[in-house]
Amino acid sequence: MNTEVYGVIVFKSTHYTIQAENILREKDIGFKTIPTPREISLSCGLAILVTMDDLEIIKDMMYKGEINVLNLYKYIRDGKKNQYEKII
Amino acid sequence: MKIEVDARKEACPRPVIRTKKELESIQDGIVTTIVDNEAAKDNVSKLAISLGYSFIIDKGEEDSEYYIHITKGNVNDMEVKKDIAHDMDQDHNLTIPKLDSTRGLTIAIGSNKMGNGEEELGKILMKSFIYTVRETTPFPNTIVFYNSGVYLTCEGSEVLDDLKGLVEEGVEIISCGACLDYYHLQDKIQVGEVGNMYLIYEKMKNANNTITLG
Repeated sequence: MNTEVYGVIVFKSTHYTIQAENILREKDIGFKTIPTPREISLSCGLAILVTMDDLEIIKDMMYKGEINVLNLYKYIRDGKKNQYEKII
Repeated sequence: MKIEVDARKEACPRPVIRTKKELESIQDGIVTTIVDNEAAKDNVSKLAISLGYSFIIDKGEEDSEYYIHITKGNVNDMEVKKDIAHDMDQDHNLTIPKLDSTRGLTIAIGSNKMGNGEEELGKILMKSFIYTVRETTPFPNTIVFYNSGVYLTCEGSEVLDDLKGLVEEGVEIISCGACLDYYHLQDKIQVGEVGNMYLIYEKMKNANNTITLG
């Protein structure tokens, strides 16, 4: 089974998720809006999934204050087992 | 009236759309659609079933090549047989597909937004819902889209990859033809098939469970 690794961005509120969607769209960064995984419960209900490469860009944007993020996670998807590691 | 639609080498749902267009253009007669794959054969057959027209499938010379003869209105049976027999080999096989729709879950989506309220929230919730359906097994049997729900199966939709993934898992995706027409999206459909109200109702009625969402 292939292991896939993604970045998951979680937010303090749904408004920030929607704001982040618009920013990512403007910057042409591919993303997918997903329900916040059950394993990461401390956030609003909607999270954003990106590639690990793009997660680095988002980290930069976060430090520059361009995007309002609560936490970043590394999402390791290995068949049926899902694993989340908190990055920030 | 006899019309031939050569839909070989055409991707779904083109064969269905073209067949439907020809059927709509005539009062009585036979539309013969030629397709070169199983999926197109099934979809054109389903169209005939959903419209309530009788049809016969005739195997073509090539592998996976089929001639689907659909009869609309008052056409003398003998006339049909004669017409069809004309094109057929002696030992062809007539196959009438089985419709297996009396099971499972149907999800009916009547809007491109989930729930009432702010549009931007409704849209993001719908995306999140479709993602959840894609990630949760067992999958539904069918998802039907109607009214503004059809935007989700068309060009520009942000859930196309999830819907395409569901189709690969065997989920049937049906978009309401009248709705595609109303929103001028007939040529923009990217996933699944086109169905009418008979088919939509059949999918809701025959499922063990139906979730309606809008």
